[in-house]
Amino acid sequence: MEIIKRLRNMDRSEKKVYIRELLLNNSLYIFLIAAVIIIQILNPAFLSGRSIVNIISLSAANLPIALGIAGAIILTGTDLSAGRIVGAVACVSASLLQTSGYPNKMFPGLDTLPIPAVILIALGIGALVGLINGFCTAHFNLHPFIVTLSTQLIVYGGLLMFLMTGNNNGQSISGLAPEYTDFIKGSILSLGGTPIPNYVWYSIGITALMWFIWNKTAFGKNMFAVGSNPEAANVSGVNVKRIIILVFTLAGVMYGVTGFIEAARISSNSAATGMNYELDAIAACVIGGVSFVGGIGKIRGVIMGVVLLRLIFVGLTFLSIDSNMQYIIKGLIILIACAIDMRKYLVRK
Amino acid sequence: MKKTISIILTLVLCLSVLTACSGGRAKSTADVHVFYYTYSDTYISSVRSALDRELTDAGISFQDYDGGGSQTTQTEQIQTAITKGAKMIIVNIVNTGSDDAANGIVNLAKGADIPVLFFNREVSDSVISSYDKCAFVGTRAEEAGILQGQMIGEYIMENFEKIDLNGDGKISYILFKGEEGNNEAIYRTQYSVEEANKILEEAGKPPLYFYDESNPNKYLVDKNGQWSAAAANEYMVTALTSYSEERGNMIELVICNNDGMAEGAISALGSAGYNTGGDSKMIPVFGVDATDAAKNLIKNGKMSGTIKQDATEMAELIEELCENVIIDKKPMLEDTEGYNIDPNVNKVRISYSKYLG
Repeated sequence: MEIIKRLRNMDRSEKKVYIRELLLNNSLYIFLIAAVIIIQILNPAFLSGRSIVNIISLSAANLPIALGIAGAIILTGTDLSAGRIVGAVACVSASLLQTSGYPNKMFPGLDTLPIPAVILIALGIGALVGLINGFCTAHFNLHPFIVTLSTQLIVYGGLLMFLMTGNNNGQSISGLAPEYTDFIKGSILSLGGTPIPNYVWYSIGITALMWFIWNKTAFGKNMFAVGSNPEAANVSGVNVKRIIILVFTLAGVMYGVTGFIEAARISSNSAATGMNYELDAIAACVIGGVSFVGGIGKIRGVIMGVVLLRLIFVGLTFLSIDSNMQYIIKGLIILIACAIDMRKYLVRK
Repeated sequence: MKKTISIILTLVLCLSVLTACSGGRAKSTADVHVFYYTYSDTYISSVRSALDRELTDAGISFQDYDGGGSQTTQTEQIQTAITKGAKMIIVNIVNTGSDDAANGIVNLAKGADIPVLFFNREVSDSVISSYDKCAFVGTRAEEAGILQGQMIGEYIMENFEKIDLNGDGKISYILFKGEEGNNEAIYRTQYSVEEANKILEEAGKPPLYFYDESNPNKYLVDKNGQWSAAAANEYMVTALTSYSEERGNMIELVICNNDGMAEGAISALGSAGYNTGGDSKMIPVFGVDATDAAKNLIKNGKMSGTIKQDATEMAELIEELCENVIIDKKPMLEDTEGYNIDPNVNKVRISYSKYLG
């Protein structure tokens, strides 16, 4: 409505520019809608209830890690350790929640721990690595790229060692307790006869929490301030180091959540779990307008990015298109999204 | 503050290096150096722990390396180990697609005049024959696929009515391939279906058909080349959204290049109410490797069968060859008459076997 009102008050050339800008700035949404329509025409099963639930649940599984990494990007940083942290947390959670009496139980002497305890451990591991990331970034003035490049290796080494301990001998960890898989994959609500896995609700809850943290707390506002101009933030009394540490710790907690969900979702956890997840998460963020120039980003953008990437995966699978194309399309989308983003940024400047 | 932290970090680093060195087997001059293509592979990990045990028991000093899935890393590791004075190298090569990497490694060994033993991931005959102190221990790549196909064919013939959910007299299947350009994956993908079809044809049944007729490849591949459970899981979950019993097009058979992918597929089927053990409806799922996890799934009625490649047997054989070289100072392949060796080339074969629980 507002758009129409504004258009009415413009002359022709202004109108033209305005509409062009509008189309360009929202081109990803337009692409998204067009893609959905085209895939739907080619394969009508695409928008069936079951398929929609599938897209939502695939997105939900990838959302927490993206929300975590978004914080690091807002600080003009990045986080390469995300995927490995997810893998480590997934393996640890799985090992602590194997059915007791499972023949290849990693720690046969250990009973299946209560789920809340394992959640705390999972979040704790994530938070600890995140804290180290943040601490080294803030106190040694290192770029997070370097810090997380290092911690990523350390976490992976630790994970490989962990997988050789106990009874496990490097095998994948499965045989999870049914309470655990039910807690994650079970369903308390169905949409059109298709059960919605529980982790979708957890993911939605976490997204809401992150929205609150980003938008309604002093910490959130300070995060954006530090991201757009650390010196200015410092001068105006923000404890920059503390903010950096907190952002990375929060990100670590998000990876912990992802790992805890991932372990039960896939039900088979090995050293390869989580590999390269950070790349998809970073891609989702930048597609959604979280900018590497710092201080810019919205929760809804991250959600958009995650959903768009999943839509490409599901859509191309539905169309039986060669999966090599998926790389090319993904690459193009990231490139275009960032180009548009930069344009907006320069205009604003 | 900053200074203290830096000092603490440095101390931690020194400590970790010290503990790593005192870890026992990483003596400064190990005789045997073992190069694994990646530590993250489940089957290779079981070979590693078995071989570590065998070598320790035999009193042979050794050192393990993780190639991390990169041929560059591995070749550099081998180079360094040879300069360090390795007496024998055992290589689980990363690149199986071409001979270049293997030739490079053989030349390195030739330069130092030490034996080189490839295992598990196959190198071509010409590479093995190019150096008299070179051999290969492993399975025949085709065999896993052939056995898997036979197992599938036999299983279908026994349970045809139960498997054919929509009663159209044909069985639809989905197939998960571990990676592109890997011989094991290519053969498993090809032979599993071909051999199963042979058996069906003999019994006068129509061949298997791929569930998604518009997919010309007739397989879905892990795009990261990791043979991963996650890839199979996501494909399966997505496929199950448009293929179901209500529509009469449910996928009736799941073929996987390895057990990890089978686990991922079973997890997806579980969410749709299949393969949850007990009396639940079961879509037959077949894998390769016979990992502990797969054996348990089979035991619990959630998976149908897998192909066993015996990690312990492989490790024992490798250890024997090491003993020949290091302790008895004999040629590597002495006293191996009892084994199945290829006629014209030094390739010692370990056989696969079917595992149905």
